[in-house]
Amino acid sequence: MNFASQRVAKPYFIGALALFAGQIIFGLIAGMQYLDGSFLFPAFPFSVIRTVHTNLLIVWLLMAFMGAAYYIVPEEAQTELHSPRLALLTFWVFLIAGVLTILGYLFVPYSQLAAMTGNAILPTMGRGYLEQPLPTKIGIVLVALSLLFNVTMTLAKGRKTSLNIVLVAGLWGLALLFLPAFYFPVDTVKASYSWWWVVHGWVEGDWELILSALLGFILVRMTGVDREIIEKWMYIIIAMTLISGIIGIGHHYYYTGAPEYWIWLGSIFSAMEPVPFLMLVVFAVRMLISRRHEYPNHAALLWAIGTPVMAFLGAGFWGFMITLAPVQYYTHGTNFTAAHGHLAFFGAYAMVSLSIISYAMPHLRGRMANSLRAQRWEMTGFWIMVISMFVIALALTGAGIVTVFLQRMGEHPISFMGVQYQERVFFWIREVAGFTFFSGLVAYLTSFFVGGDPVAAHGATVPRGR
Amino acid sequence: MQQTFTKAMARNIFLGGAAFFLIIYLVLTVDSWRQIPIRDHASQMSPAAERGKYLMDSNNCIGCHTINGEGAYYAPELGNVYTRRGPDFIKAWIKAQPIGGYRQMPHFNFSDKDLDDITAYLQWVSRINTNHWPPNIQG
Amino acid sequence: MDTETLTRADTTATQPLPGDFAIWVFIFAELTVFGILFTAYAFARESHLALFNMEQRLLDRQTALANTLLLITSSYAMVRSVLAIRADQIARCIRWLLLAMGLGCGFVVLKIREFAHDATLGITLSHNLFDMFYLSLTFFHFMHVILGLTILASVTLRALGGHYNASSHTGVESAGAYWHMVDLLWVILFALVYVIH
Repeated sequence: MNFASQRVAKPYFIGALALFAGQIIFGLIAGMQYLDGSFLFPAFPFSVIRTVHTNLLIVWLLMAFMGAAYYIVPEEAQTELHSPRLALLTFWVFLIAGVLTILGYLFVPYSQLAAMTGNAILPTMGRGYLEQPLPTKIGIVLVALSLLFNVTMTLAKGRKTSLNIVLVAGLWGLALLFLPAFYFPVDTVKASYSWWWVVHGWVEGDWELILSALLGFILVRMTGVDREIIEKWMYIIIAMTLISGIIGIGHHYYYTGAPEYWIWLGSIFSAMEPVPFLMLVVFAVRMLISRRHEYPNHAALLWAIGTPVMAFLGAGFWGFMITLAPVQYYTHGTNFTAAHGHLAFFGAYAMVSLSIISYAMPHLRGRMANSLRAQRWEMTGFWIMVISMFVIALALTGAGIVTVFLQRMGEHPISFMGVQYQERVFFWIREVAGFTFFSGLVAYLTSFFVGGDPVAAHGATVPRGR
Repeated sequence: MQQTFTKAMARNIFLGGAAFFLIIYLVLTVDSWRQIPIRDHASQMSPAAERGKYLMDSNNCIGCHTINGEGAYYAPELGNVYTRRGPDFIKAWIKAQPIGGYRQMPHFNFSDKDLDDITAYLQWVSRINTNHWPPNIQG
Repeated sequence: MDTETLTRADTTATQPLPGDFAIWVFIFAELTVFGILFTAYAFARESHLALFNMEQRLLDRQTALANTLLLITSSYAMVRSVLAIRADQIARCIRWLLLAMGLGCGFVVLKIREFAHDATLGITLSHNLFDMFYLSLTFFHFMHVILGLTILASVTLRALGGHYNASSHTGVESAGAYWHMVDLLWVILFALVYVIH
């Protein structure tokens, strides 16, 4: 850490981890309700628990991205953050607004929440991931504007590296792509079509830019490989992301009422979407092999190599399995999609957030790397969480396959509820894996409180200001 | 030969590729926007159906159900529920909740008019041309 | 097209391929995508043979033929401009580049007129499977012509600025390679969509 203002990233990272823990707890409750509908019912119906689970995910990821931006942008620009006080104020506004919204979901019936917050004036509520009441949505825009103002001003007065430009451009894209959340046409098909501008635009477009920039940054720092090489790779990867991903949005348009040609266009282009993820794996492995020195934070190295591998598996491989139109005809709207969603969100975006936290938190706490004991706790947490999430994805895939055969394909198709009942074993496996995931999370969080002497660099020091 | 592939070249491919495909996507979206109202019979969406849609959104129905495969996978597909169950069953079902069982649905305090509006919307949804999805009546 | 790549001198002497290596990677990727599209067309045609044969007859083959000749001539002009710059004849290189661009613009004008005419005939993406493929393929290619013209224009501007000479002209060769690809794809498209039934 070279600049005092980078310290504002710390509350963002801590807040993100706290919300992450919350997300997992609500995931466990939702998984329990899959097995027993009367669990916490009618006080907290499944729809409420699920909304809290997914909204916490979005908020904690955004919080981690923001923390990463406040940490990276000054360091890359070689100058202090434009306004650390604004960044800190924004953190508290974001946290309080987020927590209030979650409390609103939990303790006010959704229709009443809609009535209280002026949803009748400008309807925006009742879409997946975008369930937030209007004031929260406006709050998200204001928080994003504050972040963009701060990082853009910092970038403008400092060194303009490609990594930094892509990161800041990615944050601009993130904010712009949120705006369709305010457009909710009465025409259901148009509403679904434009909903994907936000959801696909984020996770299969813009966020991949942010992911590549974040990963590029930690690889520059940890491997000492020439920045020119890393930035070139980053550009190729994000070029492939958008070349395949923009028309690839068509894989959401097959069976939702959009014109038929999307079946062809979406299949052809989305079939190429795993390519950038595969390139990300090759890139990370090559950079680590050609590293110029040993970096003492082995936990951060593990996260940095784990992220592209899991992102490729979850977003690339699992995504490819359900992307071609003839396959999706049977898998659309089944737990197959949920399997892909879990492994992709965790493997790509949760893990890149944990990577940057793993790299930056020791610096923010005044050391280069945590003690070996703390690193062991962190790496134990890594493996338990990664393996548990993989089991969750396999279990949901199993449930999806059973749905396809019994409900979608059979001679005498069985009803939804009948099939769900027969899939119980998979939902049990998912729930047990959820608990082991939680134990991994506890191990991970414990690593922050394990003492011991911080590890210094072995001999070589990390080159600064590259 | 590798050294001639510079960072600037990679950046140009990124910018050019993104702009190129964005333009194509915009053209396709303009066309889709003209086709969608025909495919979903937008002109036949009555004020009652519009109100029914608002009720379904503001009660977060897709927090458990799917509509044309989009939403949550906790409860059955609603895109074709009108053809699967018919309006009377749907109304009686919603009124009777919660009835216990493997999964639970909350009780919503809908008036009879609300329920008429919701079924009007579900009828409209069931007629959208979704390229023959779902594969069968079970959704 | 960037300074670093374009001003790099004497790379062509040691390179088996003319132009920048990156443009060949790019061309390979482009040909793969078009290859997938052509394959998809072939499969669709096989299963809807009668429809494809009937609909193909409605296409304007005269305009398509004129467009083929325009692009082939334009490719020839491109060849001449590369030969000119290799002989250090900058003014001649620019004249051939302008001719290549002019012919390319002719293609654009004719193709826009054809698209407009198609619209009046009710040929839309959703009309039938053949029209979907015909419009997707030709529009996707049309966008490549526009991209190719943009590349040619930027190379022409740099040529006017005196950035190229006999020993340093990777930019002209790279643009030429891309432009020939655009031409080649059209010839395949013309045969596949307009002629063969």
